[in-house]
Amino acid sequence: MSSEKQEWGTRFGVILAVAGSAVGLGNFLRFPGQAAANGGGAFMIPYFCALLFLGIPICWAEWTMGRYGGRRGFHSAPSILGIIGRGSAPRYLGVFGVLIPLAVSFYYTYIEAWCLGYAWHYLTGGIGVDAGTPVSEQTATAADFFADFVGLNQHGVIAGGSIQTLVFWLITFAVNILLVYRGISKGIEKFCSYAMPAMAICAVFVLIRVLTLGTPDPKAPDQNVVNGLGYMWNPDFKALTNAQTWLAAAGQIFFSLSVGFGVIINYASYMKKKDDVVLSGLTASATNELFEVGFGGLITLTAAFVFLGLSGTIAAVQGGTFGLGFQTLPVVFAHMPFGNVIGAIWFFMLFLAAITSSISMYQPSLAFFQETLGWTRKAATTLMVSICVIGSFLVMYFSKGAIFLGTIDDWVGTLMIFILAMVEIICFSWIFGIERGLKEAHLGAHIQIPYLFRFVMKYIAPVYLLVVFAAFSYNNLPVWIKGVADEPLKLGALGLIAAVTAFLVFCTWIGARRWRAAGLDIDGRQPQAD
Amino acid sequence: MTFMGWVFLGVSLTCVWGLTIWCYAKVLRLPPEEIAQEPQDFSSA
Repeated sequence: MSSEKQEWGTRFGVILAVAGSAVGLGNFLRFPGQAAANGGGAFMIPYFCALLFLGIPICWAEWTMGRYGGRRGFHSAPSILGIIGRGSAPRYLGVFGVLIPLAVSFYYTYIEAWCLGYAWHYLTGGIGVDAGTPVSEQTATAADFFADFVGLNQHGVIAGGSIQTLVFWLITFAVNILLVYRGISKGIEKFCSYAMPAMAICAVFVLIRVLTLGTPDPKAPDQNVVNGLGYMWNPDFKALTNAQTWLAAAGQIFFSLSVGFGVIINYASYMKKKDDVVLSGLTASATNELFEVGFGGLITLTAAFVFLGLSGTIAAVQGGTFGLGFQTLPVVFAHMPFGNVIGAIWFFMLFLAAITSSISMYQPSLAFFQETLGWTRKAATTLMVSICVIGSFLVMYFSKGAIFLGTIDDWVGTLMIFILAMVEIICFSWIFGIERGLKEAHLGAHIQIPYLFRFVMKYIAPVYLLVVFAAFSYNNLPVWIKGVADEPLKLGALGLIAAVTAFLVFCTWIGARRWRAAGLDIDGRQPQAD
Repeated sequence: MTFMGWVFLGVSLTCVWGLTIWCYAKVLRLPPEEIAQEPQDFSSA
């Protein structure tokens, strides 16, 4: 039996916690790559359209549903969507809101440990990239270090003796669990209130360093900061006629803001009845955009261009998020004056970005186990930690080619987010009702949602989402399904996800029985007396 | 960096910085928060 009651201490606390959840590695590493590969500056047109018509409306819906559910004593997506969506189907679809953060945490904490490990290595002398050798050799050194560190070349390297990576993961995981166990106000809120400003300070420091690099190599006058910015920002308007550009922009906004993830709905459930959700939701989204466009859009590729030139930067972008972050940037830091210091600050900043996101992934499942099983926080934490240790160990053990990591990221961290977001916006706009929903959103609100957004939230966002989801599935699902059919380990990763899903569905069933037996209105049939 | 590159960079940064500053200015000007009222919790149901 649990009598613990949790809520945010301050309005800044919840804003920083949600912003911290949204700001992650994608802001600094994924966004610039996506923009550069999809029209440069022109990418910002579909990007801001997606922010306005998809990201912010769904954010507001999640904040509102979360606070509404919290007022009825519920804190997880299944129970809250059961009330909002009035029935069992939305409740069971809400399981995605627990599964997504839980399963993503299996690999996200591991990536977070890489950031901590790299920060440590830079503090203690770097990762062995010698700026005096040819660039190809430097790149190979950085790539080898990364492959050894994360076990990309063979399975079982973590279990087989890569002690340092395991130690960094254990530290990272323990810090995460400790923060979450301490609770919403004393753990998550307090940590984010220090970590977010610290992250901003680190970002400003690195940004100033990058923007004052000038032309470090007089023999390559074209490799300067202005041309580096040009690589990222010069618009290619032809890209706007390509559907892929619009899809990439919507995807970036979607993943970046943490919508459809099950986190915002959980965090908002700890708000008080008349706490503002409209301004808070917008402020958290704006903070995320500041880190993404204002820092991510200026730092990463500019630094790469200045030291690696056009061809090196193109190769870095093609290397994807991990390639850019953990293989290219170490080469860049090797060329920079005080490169080890900048590298340590950079990776520590990424670690902070990652940990403020990862703690938000544990809280939804913790709340879910508590409320469905009626367990204490301690017992629910033990269960969650057990699941996470099994999941994380499998991700770390089957590390060759990051096969478990990649499969879970594709199927859960990408595909399921679309599904949950669709369920949420349909429940909010169509079942709960857009007028009722906006009336609920405006309880205690300090700004009004513009009238136009009634139309946006009811029609444009669901259709936009459906089109993006259909195009995304058309482009990716055949390849993913073939990958699973050809590779037994990918099937194994999906088996793990299926097992966790089945367990969460079972817990939801138990919870529904308990709540009904207690006479609670879990289908949202009765009007709330407020 | 082309002229249009500067335009897109400038407009994008103005948008995100402007929105962020406007939001935080609004939040900072809000009246002090109410004393917490404990919510019901049905996890013990």
